[in-house]
Amino acid sequence: MIPALRDFAHRFLGRGEGAITVPPFDGALKPNQTLEHAEIVATLPGAEDLATDGTSLYVADGNAVLRLDGAAFVPVRQFDQPLTALCVLPDGRVAVALTGREVRVFAPGAGSDIAISGAGMTAVNALAPGRGGTILATDGSTDRPYAEWGRDLLSHGRSGRLLSIDPASRQADVLASGLRYAFGAASSGDATLVSESWRHRLIEVSSDGSTKPVFDHLPVYPSRLSPAAGGGFWLTAFTARTQLIEFVLRESAYRRRMMAEIDPEFWIVPRLSAGHSFREPMQGAHLKTMGIIKPWAPPRAYGLVVRLGSQYAPLYSLHSRVDGSNHGVVAAVEVADSLYVLAKGPGRLLRLKLSDIRGEAGA
Amino acid sequence: MQEALVKFKSRYWPDHLLGEILSKRWTETAIPMIVLIVVAIALSNAIPGFLSTASLGDTARQAGEIGFVVLGIALVVIVGGIDLSVGSMFALCDFCALYCLNVLNWPVPAVIVATIACGALLGSINGILIGYLRLRAFITTLITLIIFRSAYDLLLVGNSVKIASSMPDFPLWDFLGGGDVFGIPSVALLYVVVAIFGHIFLTRLRPGWHITAIGGSRRSAYNSGIPVRRTIALCYVASGALTAIGALFFAARLGTVGGDVGVGLEVTVLTATVLGGITLGGGKGSVAKALAGTLIVLLITNGLTTLSVRGGYNRMVLASILLIAATIDIRWLKNRNRIISKVYVAPAYHYLPPPPSTEIGKGGPFEQNDKLRDVSLIGLGRIEAPEDVILDRHDNLYAGSRHGDIMKFYAPDYERMEVFAHIGGQPLGMAFDCNDNLYCCIGGMGLYRIAPDGKVEKATDETNRSLWSVNDDSRLRLADDLDIADDGRIFFSEATVRYEMDEWPVDGLEARGNGRIICYDPNSNTTRTVLRGLKFPNGIAIASDRQSILFAETFGCSIKRYWFDGPKSGKVEVVMDNLPGYPDNINLASDGNYWLALVGMRSPALDLAWRMPDFRRRMGKRLPVDEWLFPNINTGCVVKFNEQGQILESFWDLGGVNHPMITSMREHRGHLYLGGIANNRIGRFKLEGADPNFVQYDKRWGKQA
Repeated sequence: MIPALRDFAHRFLGRGEGAITVPPFDGALKPNQTLEHAEIVATLPGAEDLATDGTSLYVADGNAVLRLDGAAFVPVRQFDQPLTALCVLPDGRVAVALTGREVRVFAPGAGSDIAISGAGMTAVNALAPGRGGTILATDGSTDRPYAEWGRDLLSHGRSGRLLSIDPASRQADVLASGLRYAFGAASSGDATLVSESWRHRLIEVSSDGSTKPVFDHLPVYPSRLSPAAGGGFWLTAFTARTQLIEFVLRESAYRRRMMAEIDPEFWIVPRLSAGHSFREPMQGAHLKTMGIIKPWAPPRAYGLVVRLGSQYAPLYSLHSRVDGSNHGVVAAVEVADSLYVLAKGPGRLLRLKLSDIRGEAGA
Repeated sequence: MQEALVKFKSRYWPDHLLGEILSKRWTETAIPMIVLIVVAIALSNAIPGFLSTASLGDTARQAGEIGFVVLGIALVVIVGGIDLSVGSMFALCDFCALYCLNVLNWPVPAVIVATIACGALLGSINGILIGYLRLRAFITTLITLIIFRSAYDLLLVGNSVKIASSMPDFPLWDFLGGGDVFGIPSVALLYVVVAIFGHIFLTRLRPGWHITAIGGSRRSAYNSGIPVRRTIALCYVASGALTAIGALFFAARLGTVGGDVGVGLEVTVLTATVLGGITLGGGKGSVAKALAGTLIVLLITNGLTTLSVRGGYNRMVLASILLIAATIDIRWLKNRNRIISKVYVAPAYHYLPPPPSTEIGKGGPFEQNDKLRDVSLIGLGRIEAPEDVILDRHDNLYAGSRHGDIMKFYAPDYERMEVFAHIGGQPLGMAFDCNDNLYCCIGGMGLYRIAPDGKVEKATDETNRSLWSVNDDSRLRLADDLDIADDGRIFFSEATVRYEMDEWPVDGLEARGNGRIICYDPNSNTTRTVLRGLKFPNGIAIASDRQSILFAETFGCSIKRYWFDGPKSGKVEVVMDNLPGYPDNINLASDGNYWLALVGMRSPALDLAWRMPDFRRRMGKRLPVDEWLFPNINTGCVVKFNEQGQILESFWDLGGVNHPMITSMREHRGHLYLGGIANNRIGRFKLEGADPNFVQYDKRWGKQA
């Protein structure tokens, strides 16, 4: 009774949970333009995910898996459906997710695939090697397909899951469910680190299925994770939070009508890239003054990579701010002495030298 | 269905008035007055004959006595202090009057003078201690309360019998105590006189202003050269003298010197002061408030007495009221501006049908193109915020800047730039009259005239006040664009009467018809409002019949025509509505049609929000302005239209790199000059097939250079 009253009062007065606040980019998340100034390796409009076998970079580009050999992309495998996730297993085999509904495991060069489907897979958006030859998969939402993540956010979707897939038995086990959009996972010791995007946090799912937040109150929506050499992880954020979106998320009537009446392109919702049409919603600080748009304006799209230490504490971060274009970062993998970053907004594959990053990001 | 309700409520429920009423200073007096009326009605219902003539006369007598004390304490509170010793002073003055009269047998006028002098003397002790020695008012008057009361008790021991034993009979004394003029008690008459003087004193005379200034900010008052110490001391003296007058009437009415005279009086008068709305922090208060507070307190105490409530409870009720009133006073004072700012913004329902398409490949007059890509730039980085641009008949270019200047660029290359006139506010729309005077709307200032030699003159900065508006709308807040009729009359738009220029996004959030069109007649030097209730009226251009103007409503997304002369005089017709963007300035084109700047384009998210006023109200409260959903004015275009409301051509800059924002355009000798209020440049664009000799000035005024 009392908590219900308190919730109502909070909503009514805009306090507590009803307060529309977004944490600032501060500390290790202090903004810079490192990502914006990164080298552009290639423009791949259909690219979805990156992976590495330790020596070379794999890219899921549209229906195809490509490998970067030197400066050229070599096709590894072509599928008849678009890929939504990619990983390379320790034994050299490659796992992909097809339209978020099916996981295929194949060895490059070999003909036979292992296909795992069912288990209610709807929006598998990230794959990672698990323990004992299994594959970790995050299923963003069991209600809406991968492409409709914006609608899932606006609908307060909470049907994300963490799956463990055993390619040998073609079995998929649910390790955690009821997540508010799971997008990205990585093994961390005995546990699994998972990005829970709509709750702006990373959680650790232990082997018995219990979860605990390990890095929360992020100013962004976290996405895929990959291990970093020397311990820790690379965390990407596909877009950032704004107070307007937090506000709209609390306005059910407006949200309902917006989803019903307006073209999704023009919704008030985070996007992987922004500024393509004057019909997109504009916020006060977006007003160009003297020909300049302010980098600290509320981001409709943002680019961020965070380097996490082994205890999940952020060490430093790489940004592409509102006035930039390398937005919608969905994957970052470390190959040899470089960090490859996929900015899905402009469809760019970026490369940063690790030695340069540390200097520029002030780490 | 629900939307129909929202629309209905928005149209007929004037919720924008709440904030306007609350921001009026008189609400602070109105609230105690309302409380007074409520208390009077409630008590007269509860007690038969409570408001009868006899009862009223009795109440007025007490009200007069206490009223004088309240006036005194109000003065002290306004100056920033407090006087707790009034009860004891009251008792001492009562004693003084009766002692002089009954024991010393002085004549009544001498008694009156002596008593008032006694009160002033007692007050001056407080005044010297607090004003000159700068002791804390609270502790000082608490101490004098005790000292005066002790003195009274000591004096009483030897003299109470003497006073009680003689009963002198003077007609004047009796008149003071119980006389009346046409049924109005003597004390009330004198009170009215003193109150009227007090009102004039506080509101119209220099010392009264000094008192308010010291109470508002002692340091600022001192820095402005006001004799702070003397004024404060004199307030306490006045408080003592006014208390003495009250005591005088009390003595004349009852003629007793009991031990309980004036006990607890300070609580009663403080309650009256605070209830009336005189802020304990100082700097705010009026005689009307003091009167209202006195009457409320008296009605309540008398009512409770009549209802046979015991004295203890009576006192307790008063103390509780004091506590509540003081709390409200403090909370209101602290949060007044916050509350007003929260309720002032009152979004309205604003429906726009789906806009015509602008997409490439979909056709239509607004189809985007890249015609403005080859705009050349004038004054890049040297001029800031040229909302409007205009050319004179010698081809020189004028534009406003946000530094409050009108800049002049010299023909033919427009490289040389100098300050033509400094005005001080943001220049917006401009137009030349037939004598080469440049009229310019200045945001926040009004309509100004700049002679060819650069001399600046104010044309007008106020118009007639609307009869029914709560806000004083006579001052111009955001004069926007203008054009000049043949007889010299100037029609100009004022975008909003509820907000200042820098608050235009708030007006967009409200989307209410807050704007108007005003006519200034230089021949008679008069200004009057001709159209009201427009949604951010902006561009204005004289139409071809010279009897009407075309005007743009920016947030209304429409162009309308208003006839000021001729057979259709006073009529308004829609020329175009449901534009895909927000129209800004309108100007004449060489082919007799009109140029229109669309300063920004509509977005579906905002169009939907404009139909949901409560959503916008919450957005305005919960989000900072930088996060609000805005009308998109980063991209715009120029269109050409005719008086029939047809779009003939549109000019776009797809990249928006060269010329991000367009608020105005002016055709001159085959070129189009573009201004934008958030830009640091002026655009110049070669028009294909336009009359290379077209000069707007010559066309308009029939002159040749």
